[in-house]
Amino acid sequence: MQPKIAAEIVSALKEAGVDFVATLTEANLHELVMALAEERGILHVPVTREEEGIGICAGAYLGGKRPAMVMMNAGFLLSANALATVCLHPGIPVLMLIGHSGGLGEENPSHGTVGMLTEPVLQALHIVYDRLGRSEEIRRAVLDAHTLARSSRRPVALLLNKEALR
Amino acid sequence: MKRYDCLKAIAPYFQDELVVTNLGGVRHEWHALRPHPGNYHLQNLGLTSSVGLGLALALPHRKVVIFDGDGSLLLNLGSLATMANRNPGNLIHVVFDNSCYESSRGAPTATAGVTDLAAVAKGAGFVNATTATTAEDFEEKFLQALRSAELHFIVAKVEPGVGDVPPAPLDSQENKYTFVRYVEKAEKISILGSPHSRAYDRKS
Repeated sequence: MQPKIAAEIVSALKEAGVDFVATLTEANLHELVMALAEERGILHVPVTREEEGIGICAGAYLGGKRPAMVMMNAGFLLSANALATVCLHPGIPVLMLIGHSGGLGEENPSHGTVGMLTEPVLQALHIVYDRLGRSEEIRRAVLDAHTLARSSRRPVALLLNKEALR
Repeated sequence: MKRYDCLKAIAPYFQDELVVTNLGGVRHEWHALRPHPGNYHLQNLGLTSSVGLGLALALPHRKVVIFDGDGSLLLNLGSLATMANRNPGNLIHVVFDNSCYESSRGAPTATAGVTDLAAVAKGAGFVNATTATTAEDFEEKFLQALRSAELHFIVAKVEPGVGDVPPAPLDSQENKYTFVRYVEKAEKISILGSPHSRAYDRKS
């Protein structure tokens, strides 16, 4: 991820009122995770497994924080049960920023299957999502996704495509 | 010792602590002993420790107590590493270790074999990680944790068995609203926010 894109995402999260972010890094998310770690207005919690991050975000919401989770799509797939039982069932919002590996432009042959399954699983979980990549669309998308998450009391996802990640 | 005896021993010490309970019998036992809007009964196996950690990080001035189980924690051992690294001084992580998947008809867990969860917690970085084997021992260790300003991990080695209590009547949505409204009022914060209504829109 270009540092400019990472800075734009962090700035948009702050403008949206997000004050708590759990992350599980990956090469393409490195700049974003490092920028979040340095951001004083956001409590950053690096986690060991993505579903753990969903649980931590849910707990933070119950305590009054406005949480987001940054992860790759492999970690999102791993989090399906956590999202269903901890968020969707009681009605707890978490804004998810999901790096979409295995999409158009993917060179790594092992990522294609996870990439292909990501949107169908979001749809199966009835999680509203949008795809984004261009710098100029990031701020509006983050603000709108966070607004919907809070008003609907459900997780909402933004898929960061190759353009955002490269 | 039984889990219910442990809970009975410590219930009188609770005031406004926030509690996150694991799936299974513990939620019914705890609700019977301390019915309180600050109890959050999680309907997920594995993430009790993580939800408790998130809550403790969000409200660093409030004591948070997690009632976890061995089967649950074994699903999420990584949470111990995250918890120890964050080191919230307002969090007590209790694990009632009955060495079996009690609600799933009792097959043994890894702690029925060679696994020692307090040793795992120490390896994850907990300074205060201990095991209690009698109800008196548990009460003493819990009270010490409750009165300290440090992160504590306490394993209570218990026999299987659920206390003679009625099922807790709360469903998950109701529990969420009750808990959140309690936190909003106690902390004077807004969590759910006011729903937007066009009746209040003003056009100049």
